Amino acid sequence: MTSETLEQKRAARKEWLSKLEFFDAFCSLYIDNNSEEFESAIASPEKLLAEMDRNGVSRAVVYHGNTGMVGAAYANNELAEGIKAYSDRLTGVWSILPEQCHELPDVEHIFVAMKENNIGALTLYPTWHRWIPNKLTIGRLMEAVAARKVPVYLPLGNGEGSWKWVYDFMKEFPTATTIVATLGLWGSDRNLRPLLENYPNLHAEMSQYWVPEGITDMAKIYGADRLLYGSGMPKMGFGSTMLSIVNLQLPEGDIEKIASGNIKRLLAWN
Amino acid sequence: MVTSVWNKPGTIANAFWERGWDFEAPETAPLPVYDMHGHMGSHNAIYFARCDAPEMVKHLKRSGIRRLVFSHHHALWGEFRNAQVRDICSQFPDVLRFYVAINPHRPQYIEEDLKLYDSFKPYVVGLKILAGYHKVVVTDKRYEKAMEFAAERKLPVLFHTWNGCPFNGLDPMTQLCKRYPTVTFFIGHSFSNWQAAKKLADQTENTYFELTSLPGQYGMIEHLVQEVGSKRIIFGTDMPWFDEFQHIGGILSAEISDEAKKDILCGNIERLLGKDW
Repeated sequence: MTSETLEQKRAARKEWLSKLEFFDAFCSLYIDNNSEEFESAIASPEKLLAEMDRNGVSRAVVYHGNTGMVGAAYANNELAEGIKAYSDRLTGVWSILPEQCHELPDVEHIFVAMKENNIGALTLYPTWHRWIPNKLTIGRLMEAVAARKVPVYLPLGNGEGSWKWVYDFMKEFPTATTIVATLGLWGSDRNLRPLLENYPNLHAEMSQYWVPEGITDMAKIYGADRLLYGSGMPKMGFGSTMLSIVNLQLPEGDIEKIASGNIKRLLAWN
Repeated sequence: MVTSVWNKPGTIANAFWERGWDFEAPETAPLPVYDMHGHMGSHNAIYFARCDAPEMVKHLKRSGIRRLVFSHHHALWGEFRNAQVRDICSQFPDVLRFYVAINPHRPQYIEEDLKLYDSFKPYVVGLKILAGYHKVVVTDKRYEKAMEFAAERKLPVLFHTWNGCPFNGLDPMTQLCKRYPTVTFFIGHSFSNWQAAKKLADQTENTYFELTSLPGQYGMIEHLVQEVGSKRIIFGTDMPWFDEFQHIGGILSAEISDEAKKDILCGNIERLLGKDW
Protein backbone atom coordinates (compact mmCIF):
# COMPACT_ATOMS: atom_id res chain seq x y z
CA MET A 1 0.00 0.00 0.00
CA THR A 2 1.47 3.39 -0.93
CA SER A 3 1.24 6.32 1.46
CA GLU A 4 -0.75 8.16 -1.19
CA THR A 5 -3.38 5.44 -1.18
CA LEU A 6 -3.52 5.51 2.58
CA GLU A 7 -4.04 9.26 2.55
CA GLN A 8 -6.79 8.87 0.01
CA LYS A 9 -8.51 6.32 2.21
CA ARG A 10 -8.23 8.58 5.22
CA ALA A 11 -9.68 11.47 3.26
CA ALA A 12 -12.53 9.30 1.97
CA ARG A 13 -13.42 8.11 5.47
CA LYS A 14 -13.35 11.65 6.81
CA GLU A 15 -15.65 12.77 4.02
CA TRP A 16 -18.05 9.88 4.64
CA LEU A 17 -18.12 10.55 8.39
CA SER A 18 -18.85 14.21 7.81
CA LYS A 19 -22.04 13.22 6.00
CA LEU A 20 -23.07 10.36 8.28
CA GLU A 21 -26.20 11.29 10.20
CA PHE A 22 -27.13 9.87 13.60
CA PHE A 23 -30.83 9.71 14.39
CA ASP A 24 -31.36 8.31 17.88
CA ALA A 25 -34.17 5.76 17.74
CA PHE A 26 -34.67 5.53 21.49
CA CYS A 27 -34.23 8.10 24.21
CA SER A 28 -36.44 9.73 26.80
CA LEU A 29 -37.44 13.08 28.13
CA TYR A 30 -38.52 13.96 31.66
CA ILE A 31 -37.48 12.40 34.91
CA ASP A 32 -38.30 8.88 35.89
CA ASN A 33 -39.05 9.44 39.56
CA ASN A 34 -38.40 5.82 40.34
CA SER A 35 -34.99 5.70 38.76
CA GLU A 36 -31.67 5.77 40.55
CA GLU A 37 -30.48 7.93 37.67
CA PHE A 38 -32.85 10.67 38.86
CA GLU A 39 -30.22 13.33 39.23
CA SER A 40 -28.61 12.77 35.86
CA ALA A 41 -31.84 12.49 33.91
CA ILE A 42 -32.45 14.76 30.98
CA ALA A 43 -35.38 16.73 32.29
CA SER A 44 -36.05 19.16 29.47
CA PRO A 45 -35.99 19.19 25.67
CA GLU A 46 -33.38 21.93 25.78
CA LYS A 47 -30.98 19.83 27.85
CA LEU A 48 -31.55 16.86 25.60
CA LEU A 49 -30.89 18.89 22.47
CA ALA A 50 -27.70 20.33 23.95
CA GLU A 51 -26.42 16.84 24.71
CA MET A 52 -27.40 15.68 21.23
CA ASP A 53 -25.40 18.59 19.77
CA ARG A 54 -22.39 17.78 21.91
CA ASN A 55 -22.38 14.25 20.52
CA GLY A 56 -23.33 15.04 16.94
CA VAL A 57 -26.81 13.48 16.99
CA SER A 58 -29.15 15.31 14.67
CA ARG A 59 -32.58 13.92 15.59
CA ALA A 60 -34.18 11.64 18.16
CA VAL A 61 -37.28 9.62 18.90
CA VAL A 62 -38.29 10.41 22.46
CA TYR A 63 -40.64 8.73 24.89
CA HIS A 64 -41.79 10.14 28.21
CA GLY A 65 -39.38 8.81 30.82
CA ASN A 66 -41.95 8.81 33.59
CA THR A 67 -44.82 7.19 31.67
CA GLY A 68 -44.82 4.18 33.93
CA MET A 69 -45.54 6.28 37.01
CA VAL A 70 -47.70 9.13 35.73
CA GLY A 71 -49.72 7.07 33.30
CA ALA A 72 -50.24 7.13 29.57
CA ALA A 73 -52.77 9.94 29.23
CA TYR A 74 -50.79 12.46 31.29
CA ALA A 75 -47.43 11.47 29.79
CA ASN A 76 -48.70 11.56 26.22
CA ASN A 77 -50.01 15.10 26.65
CA GLU A 78 -46.92 16.37 28.44
CA LEU A 79 -44.60 14.86 25.85
CA ALA A 80 -46.54 16.34 22.94
CA GLU A 81 -46.43 19.74 24.60
CA GLY A 82 -42.73 19.44 25.41
CA ILE A 83 -41.56 18.60 21.91
CA LYS A 84 -43.93 20.95 20.09
CA ALA A 85 -41.28 23.60 19.53
CA TYR A 86 -38.68 21.09 18.32
CA SER A 87 -40.52 19.08 15.70
CA ASP A 88 -37.58 19.36 13.32
CA ARG A 89 -35.41 17.32 15.71
CA LEU A 90 -37.62 15.43 18.17
CA THR A 91 -40.34 12.90 17.30
CA GLY A 92 -42.53 11.59 20.10
CA VAL A 93 -43.72 8.16 21.22
CA TRP A 94 -47.14 7.76 22.77
CA SER A 95 -48.12 5.00 25.14
CA ILE A 96 -51.30 3.02 24.47
CA LEU A 97 -53.92 1.45 26.75
CA PRO A 98 -56.87 -0.95 26.30
CA GLU A 99 -59.40 0.53 23.94
CA GLN A 100 -62.42 -0.24 26.11
CA CYS A 101 -61.69 2.42 28.74
CA HIS A 102 -61.50 5.27 26.20
CA GLU A 103 -58.65 7.03 28.03
CA LEU A 104 -56.85 7.88 24.77
CA PRO A 105 -58.04 8.84 21.29
CA ASP A 106 -59.81 5.86 19.74
CA VAL A 107 -58.67 4.03 16.64
CA GLU A 108 -60.57 6.37 14.32
CA HIS A 109 -58.77 9.42 15.68
CA ILE A 110 -55.42 8.39 17.09
CA PHE A 111 -53.43 8.57 13.85
CA VAL A 112 -54.63 12.08 13.11
CA ALA A 113 -53.79 13.08 16.67
CA MET A 114 -50.34 11.56 16.32
CA LYS A 115 -49.72 13.48 13.13
CA GLU A 116 -50.89 16.73 14.67
CA ASN A 117 -48.65 16.24 17.69
CA ASN A 118 -45.51 15.03 15.92
CA ILE A 119 -45.84 11.54 17.35
CA GLY A 120 -44.19 8.92 15.18
CA ALA A 121 -44.49 5.72 17.17
CA LEU A 122 -46.34 3.95 19.96
CA THR A 123 -45.33 1.98 23.00
CA LEU A 124 -46.97 0.26 25.93
CA TYR A 125 -46.38 -0.34 29.64
CA PRO A 126 -48.77 -3.17 30.52
CA THR A 127 -46.93 -4.10 33.71
CA TRP A 128 -46.90 -0.56 35.09
CA HIS A 129 -50.40 0.18 33.84
CA ARG A 130 -51.86 -3.20 34.76
CA TRP A 131 -53.39 -4.64 31.64
CA ILE A 132 -52.81 -7.51 29.25
CA PRO A 133 -51.78 -6.71 25.67
CA ASN A 134 -53.71 -9.03 23.36
CA LYS A 135 -56.43 -8.99 20.73
CA LEU A 136 -59.15 -8.46 23.36
CA THR A 137 -57.59 -5.29 24.72
CA ILE A 138 -55.93 -3.67 21.70
CA GLY A 139 -56.97 -5.88 18.79
CA ARG A 140 -58.72 -3.20 16.69
CA LEU A 141 -56.01 -0.66 17.36
CA MET A 142 -53.17 -3.05 16.53
CA GLU A 143 -54.87 -4.12 13.31
CA ALA A 144 -54.88 -0.48 12.18
CA VAL A 145 -51.37 0.11 13.54
CA ALA A 146 -50.01 -2.89 11.65
CA ALA A 147 -51.77 -1.91 8.43
CA ARG A 148 -50.27 1.58 8.57
CA LYS A 149 -46.87 0.20 9.63
CA VAL A 150 -46.74 2.45 12.68
CA PRO A 151 -43.74 1.33 14.74
CA VAL A 152 -44.48 0.02 18.22
CA TYR A 153 -41.69 0.04 20.80
CA LEU A 154 -41.51 -3.00 23.08
CA PRO A 155 -39.32 -1.86 26.00
CA LEU A 156 -37.50 -4.29 28.25
CA GLY A 157 -36.28 -3.40 31.71
CA ASN A 158 -37.19 -0.41 33.91
CA GLY A 159 -39.81 -2.49 35.66
CA GLU A 160 -41.54 -3.19 32.36
CA GLY A 161 -41.40 -5.96 29.80
CA SER A 162 -39.59 -9.27 29.86
CA TRP A 163 -38.56 -11.37 26.89
CA LYS A 164 -41.59 -13.56 27.59
CA TRP A 165 -43.76 -10.47 27.26
CA VAL A 166 -42.17 -9.59 23.90
CA TYR A 167 -42.59 -13.14 22.65
CA ASP A 168 -46.26 -13.16 23.68
CA PHE A 169 -46.86 -9.81 22.02
CA MET A 170 -45.31 -10.91 18.73
CA LYS A 171 -47.25 -14.16 18.75
CA GLU A 172 -50.45 -12.17 19.18
CA PHE A 173 -49.55 -9.48 16.61
CA PRO A 174 -47.08 -11.13 14.21
CA THR A 175 -47.36 -8.59 11.41
CA ALA A 176 -46.88 -5.52 13.61
CA THR A 177 -43.91 -3.27 12.93
CA THR A 178 -42.05 -3.40 16.23
CA ILE A 179 -38.82 -2.20 17.80
CA VAL A 180 -37.50 -4.14 20.79
CA ALA A 181 -35.70 -1.67 23.04
CA THR A 182 -33.42 -1.68 26.09
CA LEU A 183 -32.20 -5.22 25.50
CA GLY A 184 -30.11 -5.41 28.68
CA LEU A 185 -26.34 -5.52 28.97
CA TRP A 186 -25.99 -9.29 29.13
CA GLY A 187 -25.78 -10.41 25.51
CA SER A 188 -29.28 -11.10 24.28
CA ASP A 189 -28.72 -13.16 21.11
CA ARG A 190 -30.50 -16.22 22.46
CA ASN A 191 -33.67 -14.17 22.87
CA LEU A 192 -33.34 -11.69 20.04
CA ARG A 193 -32.27 -13.90 17.15
CA PRO A 194 -35.39 -16.15 17.18
CA LEU A 195 -37.56 -13.03 17.04
CA LEU A 196 -35.60 -11.53 14.14
CA GLU A 197 -35.78 -14.85 12.32
CA ASN A 198 -39.53 -15.34 12.73
CA TYR A 199 -40.99 -11.82 12.57
CA PRO A 200 -39.79 -9.87 9.53
CA ASN A 201 -41.24 -6.59 10.79
CA LEU A 202 -39.45 -6.77 14.13
CA HIS A 203 -36.44 -4.50 14.71
CA ALA A 204 -34.08 -3.87 17.60
CA GLU A 205 -32.41 -0.75 18.90
CA MET A 206 -28.82 -1.18 19.98
CA SER A 207 -28.29 1.05 23.02
CA GLN A 208 -27.66 -1.92 25.29
CA TYR A 209 -26.40 -4.48 22.82
CA TRP A 210 -22.64 -4.45 23.38
CA VAL A 211 -21.51 -7.89 22.22
CA PRO A 212 -18.21 -7.54 20.31
CA GLU A 213 -18.94 -7.66 16.57
CA GLY A 214 -22.50 -8.64 17.47
CA ILE A 215 -24.22 -5.90 15.47
CA THR A 216 -22.19 -6.87 12.41
CA ASP A 217 -23.12 -10.53 12.86
CA MET A 218 -26.83 -9.82 13.20
CA ALA A 219 -26.84 -7.43 10.25
CA LYS A 220 -25.22 -10.09 8.08
CA ILE A 221 -27.74 -12.75 9.13
CA TYR A 222 -30.98 -10.76 9.33
CA GLY A 223 -30.17 -7.63 7.32
CA ALA A 224 -28.98 -4.20 8.32
CA ASP A 225 -32.56 -2.95 7.86
CA ARG A 226 -33.53 -4.55 11.18
CA LEU A 227 -31.14 -2.74 13.52
CA LEU A 228 -31.28 0.83 14.81
CA TYR A 229 -28.91 3.17 16.57
CA GLY A 230 -30.41 4.09 19.94
CA SER A 231 -28.81 5.85 22.86
CA GLY A 232 -31.08 4.81 25.70
CA MET A 233 -30.68 8.29 27.23
CA PRO A 234 -30.63 9.15 30.04
CA LYS A 235 -29.63 5.79 31.48
CA MET A 236 -27.05 5.50 28.71
CA GLY A 237 -25.17 8.21 26.85
CA PHE A 238 -25.22 9.05 23.16
CA GLY A 239 -21.58 8.58 22.31
CA SER A 240 -20.49 5.06 23.20
CA THR A 241 -22.62 3.19 20.68
CA MET A 242 -21.81 5.78 18.00
CA LEU A 243 -18.16 4.72 17.98
CA SER A 244 -19.21 1.07 17.66
CA ILE A 245 -21.44 1.88 14.72
CA VAL A 246 -18.88 3.82 12.68
CA ASN A 247 -16.54 0.84 13.11
CA LEU A 248 -18.93 -1.96 12.12
CA GLN A 249 -17.52 -4.41 9.61
CA LEU A 250 -20.30 -3.60 7.16
CA PRO A 251 -20.59 -1.64 3.93
CA GLU A 252 -21.04 2.11 4.42
CA GLY A 253 -24.61 1.91 3.15
CA ASP A 254 -25.53 -0.58 5.86
CA ILE A 255 -23.95 1.60 8.55
CA GLU A 256 -25.93 4.58 7.28
CA LYS A 257 -29.13 2.55 7.62
CA ILE A 258 -28.35 1.61 11.21
CA ALA A 259 -27.25 5.13 12.16
CA SER A 260 -30.31 6.91 10.76
CA GLY A 261 -31.82 5.43 7.61
CA ASN A 262 -33.88 2.70 9.24
CA ILE A 263 -35.60 4.89 11.80
CA LYS A 264 -36.39 7.46 9.11
CA ARG A 265 -37.96 4.71 7.01
CA LEU A 266 -40.00 3.45 9.96
CA LEU A 267 -41.29 6.93 10.78
CA ALA A 268 -42.22 7.62 7.15
CA TRP A 269 -45.77 6.28 7.68
CA ASN A 270 -46.58 9.58 9.31
CA MET B 1 -23.68 24.45 13.86
CA VAL B 2 -22.17 22.93 17.00
CA THR B 3 -18.90 21.03 16.64
CA SER B 4 -19.43 17.67 18.28
CA VAL B 5 -17.02 15.91 20.61
CA TRP B 6 -16.03 13.70 17.66
CA ASN B 7 -15.20 16.51 15.27
CA LYS B 8 -12.84 18.72 17.27
CA PRO B 9 -9.53 18.56 15.40
CA GLY B 10 -6.52 17.51 17.43
CA THR B 11 -8.50 15.69 20.10
CA ILE B 12 -8.22 12.03 21.05
CA ALA B 13 -11.90 11.53 20.27
CA ASN B 14 -11.44 12.90 16.76
CA ALA B 15 -8.43 10.68 16.15
CA PHE B 16 -10.35 7.54 17.12
CA TRP B 17 -13.46 8.66 15.23
CA GLU B 18 -11.67 9.14 11.93
CA ARG B 19 -9.36 6.16 12.20
CA GLY B 20 -10.23 3.51 9.62
CA TRP B 21 -10.31 0.07 11.22
CA ASP B 22 -9.99 -1.59 7.82
CA PHE B 23 -6.91 0.18 6.49
CA GLU B 24 -4.92 1.44 9.48
CA ALA B 25 -2.33 -0.81 11.10
CA PRO B 26 -3.09 -1.76 14.73
CA GLU B 27 0.04 -0.05 15.99
CA THR B 28 -1.17 3.27 14.58
CA ALA B 29 -3.97 3.56 17.15
CA PRO B 30 -4.15 7.09 18.56
CA LEU B 31 -3.30 5.70 22.01
CA PRO B 32 -2.02 2.30 23.16
CA VAL B 33 -5.18 1.27 25.01
CA TYR B 34 -4.81 -1.23 27.85
CA ASP B 35 -7.91 -3.30 28.60
CA MET B 36 -7.33 -4.49 32.15
CA HIS B 37 -10.49 -6.56 32.60
CA GLY B 38 -11.22 -9.32 30.15
CA HIS B 39 -12.37 -12.90 30.05
CA MET B 40 -12.30 -15.72 27.53
CA GLY B 41 -14.37 -18.80 26.80
CA SER B 42 -18.07 -19.55 26.55
CA HIS B 43 -20.63 -18.52 29.17
CA ASN B 44 -23.65 -20.32 30.56
CA ALA B 45 -26.07 -17.42 30.16
CA ILE B 46 -24.82 -15.56 27.09
CA TYR B 47 -24.09 -16.53 23.51
CA PHE B 48 -20.69 -15.18 22.52
CA ALA B 49 -19.84 -15.72 18.87
CA ARG B 50 -16.26 -14.64 19.49
CA CYS B 51 -15.02 -15.82 22.87
CA ASP B 52 -11.88 -17.70 21.88
CA ALA B 53 -8.47 -16.18 21.42
CA PRO B 54 -8.17 -15.93 17.61
CA GLU B 55 -11.45 -14.07 17.11
CA MET B 56 -10.98 -11.97 20.22
CA VAL B 57 -7.54 -10.89 19.10
CA LYS B 58 -8.92 -9.82 15.72
CA HIS B 59 -11.42 -7.55 17.48
CA LEU B 60 -8.78 -6.24 19.88
CA LYS B 61 -6.37 -5.38 17.10
CA ARG B 62 -8.86 -3.64 14.88
CA SER B 63 -10.06 -1.54 17.81
CA GLY B 64 -6.55 -0.47 18.79
CA ILE B 65 -6.08 -2.42 22.03
CA ARG B 66 -2.42 -2.91 22.92
CA ARG B 67 -3.00 -5.40 25.72
CA LEU B 68 -5.95 -7.35 27.05
CA VAL B 69 -5.46 -8.81 30.52
CA PHE B 70 -8.06 -11.50 31.13
CA SER B 71 -9.10 -14.37 33.36
CA HIS B 72 -10.59 -17.36 31.61
CA HIS B 73 -14.25 -18.09 32.41
CA HIS B 74 -13.58 -21.79 32.74
CA ALA B 75 -10.59 -21.23 35.02
CA LEU B 76 -12.83 -19.13 37.28
CA TRP B 77 -15.80 -21.49 37.24
CA GLY B 78 -14.64 -24.80 35.85
CA GLU B 79 -11.69 -27.12 35.71
CA PHE B 80 -9.66 -25.26 33.08
CA ARG B 81 -6.25 -24.56 34.56
CA ASN B 82 -4.23 -21.37 34.58
CA ALA B 83 -1.31 -23.17 32.91
CA GLN B 84 -3.58 -23.70 29.91
CA VAL B 85 -4.38 -20.00 29.91
CA ARG B 86 -0.67 -19.25 29.80
CA ASP B 87 -0.39 -21.42 26.69
CA ILE B 88 -3.19 -19.49 25.00
CA CYS B 89 -1.43 -16.20 25.73
CA SER B 90 1.82 -17.54 24.33
CA GLN B 91 0.12 -17.88 20.94
CA PHE B 92 -0.71 -14.16 20.92
CA PRO B 93 2.21 -12.65 22.80
CA ASP B 94 1.77 -9.17 21.31
CA VAL B 95 -1.74 -8.74 22.77
CA LEU B 96 -2.81 -11.24 25.46
CA ARG B 97 -1.88 -11.28 29.14
CA PHE B 98 -3.72 -12.97 32.00
CA TYR B 99 -4.61 -12.94 35.66
CA VAL B 100 -4.34 -16.18 37.59
CA ALA B 101 -7.95 -17.10 38.34
CA ILE B 102 -8.45 -17.75 42.05
CA ASN B 103 -11.31 -20.08 42.95
CA PRO B 104 -11.73 -20.26 46.74
CA HIS B 105 -13.49 -23.59 46.35
CA ARG B 106 -10.35 -25.11 44.84
CA PRO B 107 -7.61 -24.59 47.50
CA GLN B 108 -5.42 -27.22 45.88
CA TYR B 109 -5.51 -25.35 42.55
CA ILE B 110 -4.61 -22.09 44.29
CA GLU B 111 -1.58 -23.67 45.91
CA GLU B 112 -0.46 -25.34 42.70
CA ASP B 113 -0.95 -22.24 40.56
CA LEU B 114 0.92 -19.94 42.93
CA LYS B 115 3.84 -22.35 42.82
CA LEU B 116 3.71 -22.19 39.04
CA TYR B 117 3.40 -18.40 38.95
CA ASP B 118 6.94 -17.73 37.77
CA SER B 119 6.51 -20.20 34.93
CA PHE B 120 3.55 -18.18 33.72
CA LYS B 121 5.82 -15.24 32.95
CA PRO B 122 5.96 -13.12 30.85
CA TYR B 123 2.21 -13.45 30.28
CA VAL B 124 0.94 -13.27 33.84
CA VAL B 125 0.11 -9.88 35.34
CA GLY B 126 -1.51 -10.67 38.69
CA LEU B 127 -4.50 -12.42 40.24
CA LYS B 128 -8.25 -12.30 39.69
CA ILE B 129 -10.81 -12.77 42.48
CA LEU B 130 -14.50 -13.10 41.69
CA ALA B 131 -16.00 -13.28 45.16
CA GLY B 132 -19.54 -12.25 44.22
CA TYR B 133 -19.88 -15.25 41.94
CA HIS B 134 -18.04 -17.69 44.19
CA LYS B 135 -20.05 -16.39 47.14
CA VAL B 136 -17.07 -16.26 49.47
CA VAL B 137 -16.39 -12.87 51.03
CA VAL B 138 -13.06 -11.33 49.98
CA THR B 139 -11.81 -11.26 53.59
CA ASP B 140 -12.31 -15.02 53.95
CA LYS B 141 -9.32 -17.18 54.95
CA ARG B 142 -9.63 -19.13 51.70
CA TYR B 143 -8.10 -16.18 49.83
CA GLU B 144 -5.27 -15.61 52.31
CA LYS B 145 -2.56 -17.58 50.54
CA ALA B 146 -3.28 -15.77 47.30
CA MET B 147 -3.42 -12.36 48.95
CA GLU B 148 -0.22 -12.92 50.90
CA PHE B 149 1.48 -14.02 47.69
CA ALA B 150 0.28 -10.84 45.95
CA ALA B 151 1.34 -8.69 48.91
CA GLU B 152 4.83 -10.16 49.02
CA ARG B 153 5.34 -9.60 45.30
CA LYS B 154 3.41 -6.32 45.13
CA LEU B 155 1.14 -7.68 42.44
CA PRO B 156 -2.07 -6.21 41.10
CA VAL B 157 -5.22 -8.13 41.96
CA LEU B 158 -8.40 -7.52 39.99
CA PHE B 159 -11.60 -7.90 41.99
CA HIS B 160 -15.12 -8.02 40.70
CA THR B 161 -16.85 -5.49 42.96
CA TRP B 162 -20.46 -4.42 43.30
CA ASN B 163 -22.04 -1.96 45.66
CA GLY B 164 -24.14 -3.67 48.32
CA CYS B 165 -22.77 -7.14 47.60
CA PRO B 166 -21.91 -8.90 50.86
CA PHE B 167 -18.99 -10.68 49.21
CA ASN B 168 -17.26 -7.80 47.42
CA GLY B 169 -19.10 -4.62 48.32
CA LEU B 170 -17.61 -1.52 49.89
CA ASP B 171 -17.16 -2.77 53.48
CA PRO B 172 -15.28 -6.01 52.86
CA MET B 173 -13.22 -4.40 50.09
CA THR B 174 -12.24 -1.53 52.41
CA GLN B 175 -11.10 -3.99 55.06
CA LEU B 176 -9.08 -5.95 52.53
CA CYS B 177 -7.43 -2.95 50.88
CA LYS B 178 -6.27 -1.72 54.29
CA ARG B 179 -5.07 -5.18 55.30
CA TYR B 180 -2.78 -5.49 52.26
CA PRO B 181 -1.24 -2.07 51.60
CA THR B 182 1.41 -3.43 49.21
CA VAL B 183 -1.15 -4.99 46.88
CA THR B 184 -2.40 -2.87 43.97
CA PHE B 185 -6.15 -3.32 44.03
CA PHE B 186 -7.99 -3.07 40.71
CA ILE B 187 -11.59 -2.40 41.73
CA GLY B 188 -13.48 -4.09 38.90
CA HIS B 189 -16.62 -2.21 37.82
CA SER B 190 -15.80 0.45 40.46
CA PHE B 191 -18.66 -1.07 42.52
CA SER B 192 -20.91 0.08 39.65
CA ASN B 193 -21.44 3.05 41.90
CA TRP B 194 -19.34 6.20 41.94
CA GLN B 195 -20.32 7.10 45.51
CA ALA B 196 -18.94 3.80 46.81
CA ALA B 197 -15.83 4.25 44.67
CA LYS B 198 -15.26 7.66 46.22
CA LYS B 199 -15.59 6.27 49.75
CA LEU B 200 -12.94 3.65 49.08
CA ALA B 201 -10.68 6.09 47.21
CA ASP B 202 -10.80 8.51 50.14
CA GLN B 203 -9.63 5.84 52.59
CA THR B 204 -6.95 4.10 50.53
CA GLU B 205 -4.03 4.82 48.24
CA ASN B 206 -3.50 1.36 46.74
CA THR B 207 -6.75 1.29 44.76
CA TYR B 208 -7.46 1.83 41.06
CA PHE B 209 -11.00 1.96 39.77
CA GLU B 210 -11.76 -0.15 36.73
CA LEU B 211 -14.56 0.72 34.32
CA THR B 212 -16.13 -2.42 32.84
CA SER B 213 -19.82 -1.87 31.99
CA LEU B 214 -19.72 1.79 33.02
CA PRO B 215 -18.63 3.82 29.97
CA GLY B 216 -22.01 3.61 28.25
CA GLN B 217 -23.83 4.96 31.28
CA TYR B 218 -24.69 8.61 31.04
CA GLY B 219 -22.67 10.77 33.44
CA MET B 220 -20.86 7.88 35.12
CA ILE B 221 -17.38 8.63 33.79
CA GLU B 222 -17.72 12.31 34.61
CA HIS B 223 -18.77 11.50 38.19
CA LEU B 224 -15.91 9.07 38.69
CA VAL B 225 -13.31 11.46 37.32
CA GLN B 226 -14.64 14.21 39.52
CA GLU B 227 -14.80 12.09 42.67
CA VAL B 228 -11.76 9.79 42.52
CA GLY B 229 -9.65 11.61 39.91
CA SER B 230 -8.57 10.44 36.48
CA LYS B 231 -5.19 9.26 37.82
CA ARG B 232 -6.91 6.41 39.65
CA ILE B 233 -9.15 5.08 36.88
CA ILE B 234 -8.24 2.25 34.50
CA PHE B 235 -9.97 0.90 31.43
CA GLY B 236 -11.64 -2.50 31.07
CA THR B 237 -14.44 -4.14 29.12
CA ASP B 238 -15.12 -7.70 30.30
CA MET B 239 -14.26 -8.61 26.69
CA PRO B 240 -15.83 -10.81 25.19
CA TRP B 241 -18.87 -9.46 27.03
CA PHE B 242 -18.57 -5.92 25.74
CA ASP B 243 -17.37 -4.34 22.54
CA GLU B 244 -14.09 -2.43 22.72
CA PHE B 245 -15.32 0.38 20.49
CA GLN B 246 -18.42 0.79 22.66
CA HIS B 247 -16.40 1.21 25.85
CA ILE B 248 -13.72 3.39 24.26
CA GLY B 249 -16.56 5.47 22.82
CA GLY B 250 -17.98 5.95 26.29
CA ILE B 251 -14.66 7.36 27.52
CA LEU B 252 -14.05 9.53 24.48
CA SER B 253 -17.54 11.06 24.47
CA ALA B 254 -17.50 11.85 28.21
CA GLU B 255 -17.24 15.48 29.27
CA ILE B 256 -13.72 15.17 30.65
CA SER B 257 -10.38 16.54 29.47
CA ASP B 258 -8.17 14.86 26.90
CA GLU B 259 -5.59 14.42 29.63
CA ALA B 260 -8.11 12.49 31.72
CA LYS B 261 -9.05 10.31 28.74
CA LYS B 262 -5.38 9.52 28.20
CA ASP B 263 -4.91 8.68 31.89
CA ILE B 264 -7.79 6.22 31.75
CA LEU B 265 -7.03 4.52 28.46
CA CYS B 266 -3.28 4.12 28.89
CA GLY B 267 -1.41 6.58 31.11
CA ASN B 268 -2.23 5.13 34.51
CA ILE B 269 -1.37 1.58 33.52
CA GLU B 270 1.90 2.65 31.95
CA ARG B 271 2.75 4.46 35.19
CA LEU B 272 1.90 1.32 37.20
CA LEU B 273 3.28 -1.44 34.99
CA GLY B 274 5.49 0.33 32.48
CA LYS B 275 5.26 0.02 28.71
CA ASP B 276 7.16 -3.19 28.23
CA TRP B 277 5.13 -6.03 29.66
